[in-house]
Amino acid sequence: MTHTSHRRGSAESLSEDYIVLMNTAIGINDEDHVPKLQGFLRIALRHNPKNIGSVTMGSMDHHKPEEVMANAHEIGHAVFDNEEAVTEVLKELKDADLGLSVVVSGIFEGVDECLEKAGLKHHTANFSLGIWGRTEKLPSDDTLEVTTMCGHALISANLVKAMVEEIKAGTKTPEEAARTLAPNCACGVFNPARAAKLLAIMAK
Amino acid sequence: MKIDREICIACGLCVPYCPMAAISMDDVAVIDQDECADCGVCLKSGICPVDCIYFEPAPWPRSLRATFSDPTTEHKETRITGRGTEEMKTNDVTGRFKRGWVGVGCELGRPGIGARFRDVDKVAQVLAKQGVEFELKNPVTFLMEDTKTGKLREDVLNEKVLSAIIECIFPIEKFKEVITALKGVSKKVDTVFSVECINRADLDGSYPLKKLLNELGIPYYINGKQNVGLGRPLAEGEDL
Repeated sequence: MTHTSHRRGSAESLSEDYIVLMNTAIGINDEDHVPKLQGFLRIALRHNPKNIGSVTMGSMDHHKPEEVMANAHEIGHAVFDNEEAVTEVLKELKDADLGLSVVVSGIFEGVDECLEKAGLKHHTANFSLGIWGRTEKLPSDDTLEVTTMCGHALISANLVKAMVEEIKAGTKTPEEAARTLAPNCACGVFNPARAAKLLAIMAK
Repeated sequence: MKIDREICIACGLCVPYCPMAAISMDDVAVIDQDECADCGVCLKSGICPVDCIYFEPAPWPRSLRATFSDPTTEHKETRITGRGTEEMKTNDVTGRFKRGWVGVGCELGRPGIGARFRDVDKVAQVLAKQGVEFELKNPVTFLMEDTKTGKLREDVLNEKVLSAIIECIFPIEKFKEVITALKGVSKKVDTVFSVECINRADLDGSYPLKKLLNELGIPYYINGKQNVGLGRPLAEGEDL
């Protein structure tokens, strides 16, 4: 799963888009992992995440946070819009020593600062070399900035366009449009706060 | 995915939800079965006011569409949900990517275009010629007739999925030639693919691959993922 990779956008926009993941290693540390994932999500919720989720349950866009926590399994996610929150989450995760792998997805320079402040080191990186092949088939760049926040491609470009039209028509606010898109992302890595900002710009 | 024509009221609300744009309007909503990847977004969105969208589990090979496209479906072979593996996310524990090696993931169809396995097959065969090692727990690898050639089973080639990831590793010395080969095959596929590269940090915290990407002038995104080494037990021989 590379579902938080390849998110597109400007440095300014991506500076409000960080995801912290906790992952079990199947066959190695997956026994009794659920309380650890719940511990992670509990820590995340203390720092005003824009979304939390688990692929087995979905996100807090269509479930209460306690429901997401209660049903977390295998992998958990939390989305933040600032480096300070990520730093604090990492500090707490280091202290909690839950024993499951932690990954931070976001601008490398920003993540580096968070790691340094939290007293953590790089272990392994995943770099995106972008999109290759028949790129003429792609939707517009601004649409991709929204759709690539769901790495499983469950948010359609046509739905983004429909939401932009609704904002233009005054039948939805950007926040309402983002909340319409968000539940289609099955595991909760979509950032509705960033999406609302992007949609508002697209509707101008 | 299917639509019950007797129940559909032709409201058209489901049309924009399809990531593959496979739903159109006739006298009622119609799903192009060849273009549908069975991801289930139309059904799970709950947008249909009369619940006329339904899913009938399909026999092999069409069954691959749902297992690859719906991330809540677990691959029986790997016990992993989604399209790939844990890749670098658990590298502190698995030690899958060691120093001196690079992992490459080519996700055919991403973002949002979809892919037929015939294009996955083209890319996999090109990678195989470079002598890469395919990730054995990856569901695409399970579809290969032979991991030495990368050739996929003939009966799956026309199946369409939202995306499918080829995952492989090779020594960093091969990076330039592997990337050159990928550039070549990128002109021969009928879809897009997103490319990622994975690298274990050196003891000083730097990534040799980042240095190499800069030296070769290969552009990469300013954002990406980093495993921060909190998993336990550490992989054998791991030194943080």
